[in-house]
Amino acid sequence: MARRNTFEVDEDLESPFNARHLKRAMVYIRRHTKKMGLTLLLSAAASVSGLLGPTLLRWTVEDAIPGENLPLLALLAGCYLAATLLGILFTSIRARIMARVSQQIIFDIREDLFAHLQRLPFSYYDSRPAGKILVRIINYVNSVSDMLSNGIVNLILEIVNILFIIGFMLFTSPVLTLFVVGGLPFFVAVVWFIKPRQRKAWQEQSNKASNMNAFLAENIDGVRVSQLFARQQTNITVMERLSQAVRRCWLRAVFLANWVWVSSELLTQIVLSLLYIAGVYWLSGSSQAELGVLLAMALYLKSFWQPITNLANIYNGFVNNIAYLERIFETMDEPVEVADCENAAELPQIKGGVFFQNVTFAYEPGINILENLNLSVSAGQSVALVGPTGAGKTTVVNLISRFYNLTGGAILLDGGHDISRVTLRSLRAQMGIMLQDSFIFSGTVMDNIKYGRLDATDAEAEAAARAVQAHGFISEMEKGYFTEVNERGSRLSQGQRQLVSFARTLLADPRILILDEATSSIDTKTERLLQEGIAALIAGRTSFIIAHRLSTIKHCDRILYIGDKQVLEDGSHDQLIAKKGLYYQLYMAQVWGAPVI
Amino acid sequence: MFQLKWLWRSMEPKYRRLFVTGMVLSAVTCLMLLINPSLTKELVDEVIEKGNREPLLRLLGIMLAVTAVRLTLRYLMVVCLELASQDSVCSLRRRLFDVLMYQEIAFFNRNRTGDLMTRMTGDLDWCRHFIAWISFNTIDAVVTFLSTLILFFTVDWKLTLTMLAVTPVLLVTTKIHSNKIRPKFGAMRERLAEMNTAAQENIAGNRVVRAFAREEYEKQRFTEKNRAFFDAHLAINRQWMKFFPWLEGLANSMSLIAIFAGALFIILGSDLTLGSLSIFINLSWAMVMPMRNIGPLVNDIQRVTASASKVMEVYYARPLIVDRPTAVERPEPQGKIVFEQVHFSFGHKKVLKDISFEVLPGQTLAIIGPTGSGKSVLIQLLARFYDVQSGKILVDDWDVRDWKLQQLRSAVAPATQDVFLFSDTVEGNIIFGNEELTMEQTAKFAHMAAADEFVDAMPEQYNTIIGERGVGLSGGQRQRVALARALAMQAAVLVLDDTTSALDLETERYIQEQLRELTCTKIIIAQRISSVKDADLILVIEDGRITERGRHEELLQSRGYYWETHCLQNDGVHSESYQTRWVR
Repeated sequence: MARRNTFEVDEDLESPFNARHLKRAMVYIRRHTKKMGLTLLLSAAASVSGLLGPTLLRWTVEDAIPGENLPLLALLAGCYLAATLLGILFTSIRARIMARVSQQIIFDIREDLFAHLQRLPFSYYDSRPAGKILVRIINYVNSVSDMLSNGIVNLILEIVNILFIIGFMLFTSPVLTLFVVGGLPFFVAVVWFIKPRQRKAWQEQSNKASNMNAFLAENIDGVRVSQLFARQQTNITVMERLSQAVRRCWLRAVFLANWVWVSSELLTQIVLSLLYIAGVYWLSGSSQAELGVLLAMALYLKSFWQPITNLANIYNGFVNNIAYLERIFETMDEPVEVADCENAAELPQIKGGVFFQNVTFAYEPGINILENLNLSVSAGQSVALVGPTGAGKTTVVNLISRFYNLTGGAILLDGGHDISRVTLRSLRAQMGIMLQDSFIFSGTVMDNIKYGRLDATDAEAEAAARAVQAHGFISEMEKGYFTEVNERGSRLSQGQRQLVSFARTLLADPRILILDEATSSIDTKTERLLQEGIAALIAGRTSFIIAHRLSTIKHCDRILYIGDKQVLEDGSHDQLIAKKGLYYQLYMAQVWGAPVI
Repeated sequence: MFQLKWLWRSMEPKYRRLFVTGMVLSAVTCLMLLINPSLTKELVDEVIEKGNREPLLRLLGIMLAVTAVRLTLRYLMVVCLELASQDSVCSLRRRLFDVLMYQEIAFFNRNRTGDLMTRMTGDLDWCRHFIAWISFNTIDAVVTFLSTLILFFTVDWKLTLTMLAVTPVLLVTTKIHSNKIRPKFGAMRERLAEMNTAAQENIAGNRVVRAFAREEYEKQRFTEKNRAFFDAHLAINRQWMKFFPWLEGLANSMSLIAIFAGALFIILGSDLTLGSLSIFINLSWAMVMPMRNIGPLVNDIQRVTASASKVMEVYYARPLIVDRPTAVERPEPQGKIVFEQVHFSFGHKKVLKDISFEVLPGQTLAIIGPTGSGKSVLIQLLARFYDVQSGKILVDDWDVRDWKLQQLRSAVAPATQDVFLFSDTVEGNIIFGNEELTMEQTAKFAHMAAADEFVDAMPEQYNTIIGERGVGLSGGQRQRVALARALAMQAAVLVLDDTTSALDLETERYIQEQLRELTCTKIIIAQRISSVKDADLILVIEDGRITERGRHEELLQSRGYYWETHCLQNDGVHSESYQTRWVR
C-alpha cells in the first residue's frame, strides 16, 4: 500500500498535461452544445448590432450635421437606440443562458464526483485526509465553472474574431498584415516558455492549498484534543507554515501568469511602431489612399492584438483551472474496488446462514491476514470472535458485509448466494453493523436513529431506543428525541453515542447482526440492561460479536478463536473450556489472573 | 460596507502601504493610457498627413517608452496588490485559526466543521479577491470616468451635463440592485456552507454510510444541497438580469446622448464645434465602460460583504474562558486536586451537584458510574473547559481560574474516551503534547502503554503514518497510542477517561502495573471494577452526585452501586450475583 497521505505531503500527479482533461470535461459541456451554440450566435448578433454604431455615426457626422437635417438625425438616433437595445437584448439572453449552463455543468460534475465517492472503498478515505477530499467536491468544482462555460464560448468567439480581422487585414494589405502577424511567433514563444512553469506553479499551489485545508479540517475536528494537550501554539505554527507555503506558491504562479498580458501589450506596441515605420518609409510619397490603408491597418492591429491578449487571459485561466480539473477527474478515476459485478442479482430475503469457503484475504498483496479460512454458521446462530488484537477479527466481519473483496475463496449466504454476485445494496440492507466508532451525523437524535431505516415512524424509532436502553438519557435531553446533536462538539458521551448507534442498527432490523466492540464504553449496568434488550432481537438472527470482555460473550452459541490467519478453536464456551486450549488460557487469564477478591 | 472598512482596518500597516501603493499605481497607469492616443494624433497629423518623417521615430520611441513604463508600473501594481492581499489573508487566516484553537466547546457545538471550513477557505478567498482584484478595478473605473469627465467639461460643459443627466437614474437603480442582491449573495453563501457540511459529514461518516448501504440516500441529500446552491446562483442571476438591461441601456445612452445631442447642439447653432464633438464621440467609451463595469463590481462587492461578515464572526468570537488578569505563571505543578462543593449545569440540566473531594500529589482517584452521569465533565472542569457555576476547583491550592490556562492544561495529561488521533506518524502522535521527547523516550512510553509490540510490527514502526482519527488501527490499538500520548506529556496529573475499555484484560492489567510506577497524580474513570479497585479514593457518581466514596473494600461493604457492578462483572465467578443470559 502506498504510504498514507497527510497534510505534510503533496499528492503528486503522474499524468503530464494533456488535453485529455478538457476532452473529458467536454462530456459535461456537450450536453449544452445547443445552448452554447445559441450563445455564440447571440454574441455574434450583439457584435453586429455593435458594428452598426460606427456607420450610423459616420452618417450623422457626414450627412445630418452639415445638412442640418433634423428628421434624419432623429431617424439615425432612433436606429442607434434600436441597435443598442437589440445588443442589450442579445447580451441579456446570452448571460441568462450561460448562467444556467455554467451552474448546470458544475452541478453535474459535483453530482458525479459525489456519486463516485460513495462507491469508493474505506481504503480511499483511510489513506488521505478528509479535507483533501472535501476541497475537491466544493472548492475545486466551483473554480472550474467559469472556464467550462464562458471560458469556452469566449475562446471560440475570440478565435473567430481573430480570423475575421486577419481576413480584413489581408484584404486591406497583405504585406502589412505580415508585420502585424509577425509579432505572433514571439508571443507564442513567451507563452511556450511560461506554460510549463506556470502549470507546475498552479499545480503546486493547488497542492499546498489542499495540504492546508487538510490540516485545517482535521484540527477543527480535533480541536478538543489539541486544547487538552495545550498544543495550540504548535498547531498555529504548523498552520502558519502551510499558509506561507500557499502564499509562496500562489505568488509565484500569479507573477508568472501576469507576464502573459505584459508581453502581449508590449509586443502590440512594438509591432505598431514597426508598422508605422514600414508604412511611412515604404509608402512615402504615395497617394492619400495608401496612407489611409496604413491608418486602417493600425486600427486593425489593435483589434487583432486585443483578442490575442484576451485569448492569453482565457488561456491563463485554463492553465490555472486545469490544475483543479485534474484533481477532480483523478478522483473520478479512482478505482472502485468493491462494486456490483455484472448482472449482480438482488439478494432475496435471507435466513442468515454464512459460509466461508477457503477464504484468503490480504489488505496488501503478499501479507495475508486470513488464509484458507473455512467456516459455516447456520441461520440464527450467535457467534463470538475472540483472539489477540490484530488477529483479524474485525476483518472477518468486514468481509461478510463485503467491505473488501476477497483475495481468494468465497463467502456464501444461505448456502447459495455468493456475496460477490449480489448487489451491495441488497446485501448490506440485510446486515446490521455496529462499528467500533459510532459516527453521529449532525441533525436530531431522531434523525440519527432513523438513519437505520429511513421510513421508520417516530414511534418505531423510540421503540428501538427503548430496546437498547437509550430512551432514558434521550428523554432527559432538553428537546428529547429532537435535540440537535453532531459529531464533534455534541454533549453525548461516548457511551451514549454507542447507544444511539445501537438503536440505529436495531431499527434497521437486519438478518445478520454484527457487533464489533460495540459495547466497550457502556457502563456495566447499562450494558447488562442493553443485553437483555438485544437478547430478544438476536433471536432468529445470525449474529457475530467481537468483544474483549469474555463475560459478555460466553453465552454465545459458538466462540471462534481467531489467530494465525485461521479459526484455531471453534465451540461453545463450555466445550472450549473443557478443551483447555487457547480460549481456556485467555479466559483464565481474564478471570483468575486478576487478583479479584 | 462596514465589512470593507473592517477589511481595511484589519490590514497591518505595511500591507496597507502596499495596498495604497497598488491603488496609486492603478490610478497612474490608468491616466497614462491617455498619453498614447494624443501622441498618435500628433503622429497622424504631422507624419502621415503632412508627410514630415522627422518626428516619427521620436514619437514612436516616446510611445514605446510610455507603454514600457506603464506596463512596468502595472506589473508592479499587480505585485503590490498580490503581496498585500496574500499577506493580509495569511495574517487573517492566522488570526482566525488562532481564534478557533482557543475557542471553547460551545462554539464548536454551534458551528459545524463544514461551515468553519467555508469561512477559512472560500470566504477568505473572497477577501483576497477584493484586495487583489476588485479594488484596482474599481479605481480603474473611477479614474477613467473622472478623467474623461474633466476632459469633457473643459471641451464643452453643456454637452457634458446633458450626458450626465442619466447618472442619477443609474445611481438609483444601482443602489436598488445592490440592496436586492445582497441578501441573495448571503443566501448563496449559506447554501455553499450547507453543501460543504453535507460533504464533510459524508466523508467523515463514510463507514456508517457504507454499513447501512445509505449511498443512495446520501446522494439524494447531497443533491438537495447541490440543487439549493444551484438555485441560489440562479436567483442571483435573475436579479442581475433585472438590473443588467437598465445598466447597459443607461450606460450606452450616454454615448447616444453625446452623439445626437451633440449633433443637435451644432445644428441648433450652439458654439460646439465638429472637432469638439469628435472628442466626445471618440472618448465616450471611457465614460460608458466604467459605468457598465459598475454592475459586476457591485455584485462582487456584495459577494465580498457576505463573505467578510462570516469571516468577521469568527474573527471577533471571544471565548468566555480565558486567563484572568490576575492569573500568573505558577511554580511546577505538584498535582494536588481539591473539589469544593462544585455545581455545574448545561443550560437547565444539572450535570454535577455538590462534588467535593481531595486528592494529594501522587495519589490515585478513581471514578465510576453509569453512562452520562457526568464523570467526563468533571475532567473538563478540571482542565477548565467550562467554569463551575458554584464551588471551587483547586489545583495545588490555587483556584483553576487563577492559573494560566496553558499551564493548567499542560499539567493535566488526558487519555480521553474519545480517541482522536491525528494523521501523522505514530511517533508524532505520541509526542503530541511533548515534542522534545527523544526516540528512546517515545519508545519507552509506547512500551508502558503496551503499544510497542504492534507498532514494531508495522511496516515503518514509529514512522508509520496513522490515518485521520486513527483509521487503520483497531479500537484497542488507538487507545494504547492515546495512552502513550498522555503518558508522554509527563504531567503532574494523568487522567485516564475510560481509556482501556477496548483492551483485553491482560493488557489492561499490564498497563495498570506500569501506571503504578508513576509518581504523578492519577485520575481513572472506568466502567470496570478491575480498573479502579486499587485507587486511594474511589468515587461513585450517579446522576451528577457522589453517592459512594471510599476504598475498594469499604465500598464493597456498603453494598451499593459499586458492589452491584462488582458482582455483575464477576458473574460466573461469584454465584451470588444475578445472571442474565442474553443469548439463548
